[in-house]
Amino acid sequence: MKGGDGCRPMIVKGSPVNRRRALLLAAAIPLLLGLSLLLGPSGIGLPDTSSISGRAIIDLRLGRFVMGMLVGAALSTSGTVFQAILRNPLAEPYVLGVSGGAGLGAALSILVGGGILGAAGLPVTAFFFAVITLFAVYAIAGQGGGVPSVYSLILSGVIVSAICSSVIMFLVSTANVEGMHTVMWWMLGNLQPSSWGDQIVALVLIAGASVALWLLSPALNVLTLGREMAHYQGLNAGLVTVSSLLLATLLAATAVSMGGMIGFVGLIVPHVMRAIFGPDHRWLVPASAFGGGAFLVLCDALARIVMAPIEIPVGVVTALAGGPFFLIVLRKRMKYAWND
Amino acid sequence: MPGMTELGAPALAFRGVTAGYKGRTVLHGVDFEIAEGEFVSLIGPNGSGKSTMLKTATGLLKASEGSVEVFGREVSSLKPRERASLIGVVPQKLDSPMAFTVGEIVMLGRNLRGRWTGLEGRDYDSVEKAMIYTNVFDMKERRFNELSAGEQQRTALAMALAQEPRIIMLDESIAHLDINHSQEVLRILMNINREEKITVLLVSHDLNLAAQVAGRLMLVQHGRLVINGSPDEVMQPELLSRVYGCELRVRRDPLSGNPVVSGALDELLRRPQARKRLHVICGGGSGIELFRRLSIEGFEVTSGVLNRLDSDAEAARALDIPCVLEQPFSAVGEEAFRQAAEMVSEADGVVIAPVPIGPGNLVNLRLAAEALDAGKPVWIASGLDKRDYTPGKEAAGLSAKLRKAGAVEWKGIQELTALLNRAWPESKR
Repeated sequence: MKGGDGCRPMIVKGSPVNRRRALLLAAAIPLLLGLSLLLGPSGIGLPDTSSISGRAIIDLRLGRFVMGMLVGAALSTSGTVFQAILRNPLAEPYVLGVSGGAGLGAALSILVGGGILGAAGLPVTAFFFAVITLFAVYAIAGQGGGVPSVYSLILSGVIVSAICSSVIMFLVSTANVEGMHTVMWWMLGNLQPSSWGDQIVALVLIAGASVALWLLSPALNVLTLGREMAHYQGLNAGLVTVSSLLLATLLAATAVSMGGMIGFVGLIVPHVMRAIFGPDHRWLVPASAFGGGAFLVLCDALARIVMAPIEIPVGVVTALAGGPFFLIVLRKRMKYAWND
Repeated sequence: MPGMTELGAPALAFRGVTAGYKGRTVLHGVDFEIAEGEFVSLIGPNGSGKSTMLKTATGLLKASEGSVEVFGREVSSLKPRERASLIGVVPQKLDSPMAFTVGEIVMLGRNLRGRWTGLEGRDYDSVEKAMIYTNVFDMKERRFNELSAGEQQRTALAMALAQEPRIIMLDESIAHLDINHSQEVLRILMNINREEKITVLLVSHDLNLAAQVAGRLMLVQHGRLVINGSPDEVMQPELLSRVYGCELRVRRDPLSGNPVVSGALDELLRRPQARKRLHVICGGGSGIELFRRLSIEGFEVTSGVLNRLDSDAEAARALDIPCVLEQPFSAVGEEAFRQAAEMVSEADGVVIAPVPIGPGNLVNLRLAAEALDAGKPVWIASGLDKRDYTPGKEAAGLSAKLRKAGAVEWKGIQELTALLNRAWPESKR
């Protein structure tokens, strides 16, 4: 049975439109690369590559770009997935306590040392703590028995998050001066990679988890209709839910361990991307990754120059600069993202 | 997909299925079969286990005992995709928090069928066909949540149909729709049942709707099948009244010949305006149930004399029943008695509750005697001798006199209402 006169009607809405928008987003990445190579607290413009210090500056700025892309992508993709699985626009790594748990793990790792794990010690500890936090949040929320409601999940997430930050504060207050300084500096959000090892670990973990989630995106689409419907549509709903939650937690934990506690990206970038690309996760997951990365790189570039030679924490810029812009976008296009 | 399933096997078979949730068994040894191509409706009161049965049939809930077979295959052994290509489910209400369009929602029914992006022409064909069948094709660009409830349910049905299932199950999916929308969905279901030979299992608490469309009804109560048969076999007034715990009647629709069930409310409405008035002599809580029951039966009720703070007095106040009251813990005085006598003179009859009689309220029995003198019927609860606390057993003597003068004894509220019905048939009330 054919609809219309032989030509197939377009069933998936807005694919060509999305393709155009995706091209625009992709084109923004090299522009941002150029921008972040040009901007820095040491001055605007490409440094002299013939001098040693010039090459070092280029290296630093390139490292910042890569880290910004990775951490932004991780936070934003993680938020997208949490929102899809919990079917709630409030869900994101911070609200669920996952970032808080990762932060606690990272702080411990910084103060005690990564031990035998080397460069991977920080993200692994952070992930370990984030997963424990996620389980704790689920256990607290599900106390009445059965599958916990979204509201109780978010409530217990906020509570567990508060507990984690108290413990971090306690650790910081009892640490020696050097440790305190490192943890505080890390918590404020800092995208300067300490080593190439860091960057490779982050790249492997973040790219791997993001691609895995992209492969799961048709399943995520079905899951937005609820676990029960997903089961009827032929999905192993429990398995997909658990694996996507773990992957999203891994993303958030890696981002937190690499970049510190950078808020706002995981909550707002997914919303904006959903408003632009629609709720189809086959588009949304990659769009969130690139959008989140681009957003964080841009914010980081601003953080370096607005008060040069002093750098301000990138987390400050994400909220201050991103907030108003995103509010405008969301006001206009929220109806393309969520139903009220 | 031929070869995948057993030829000629029932579309759905429950064999001694016991299932439930943590610490609570809902289904107890359920047995039935549904042949391929049948249109069966699962009916039963709220909380009887219909939805649990559906969850078990779809493998969402595992049977703790027995087996559930879909086209000859144990449902729990099916791979998720195989299961989805055999069973389509339309939920009570499809809820999409994200702003998917109708077309995208229906596509979700197909998404997991192919590989990641590998939807083929055949997939698009089945999606289109499902949308055309359910008449949502023209709204494929609209956002799902902008649709009316009926359109949303048609979309949910289209999504299930896009799976190309061989049995489709509906969980109260049309319960909240207007009559025009529910009729439309039912028409679609009957069509796909006849033309595509898709088996339909409709879970519904609407008996008439189920009897109208289904070839067979399965009535569930307390997690057990009470009866499994044709609408004519199942739609028996005594059976339904027992299962639903209220008085139900079954008549035949003059146009379709289908059995139609209705409650007794229509008789309440047909009652004339001038209702019979009964005066109830009670006290100490003996009147509460009488007040309630007589009011439901359509009588106007008055009461007295009662002491203030007596539980019957409180009940009368709560139910707006006119009542003559005396001070707490005091014997009935002359003024109260005069008022009560006036009330009785306006009543059509007097009912004496199983109330203990002592010196304080003995005079209330005189009210009944006055009613009898005025030619009004009196119904007296039996066993007054045992509740007689007057010093000289005066109450027992009075009761004997009353009975001699024509008062009728009653025992239990059922008997009383039967007696009242005999005295005043409902239609004359």
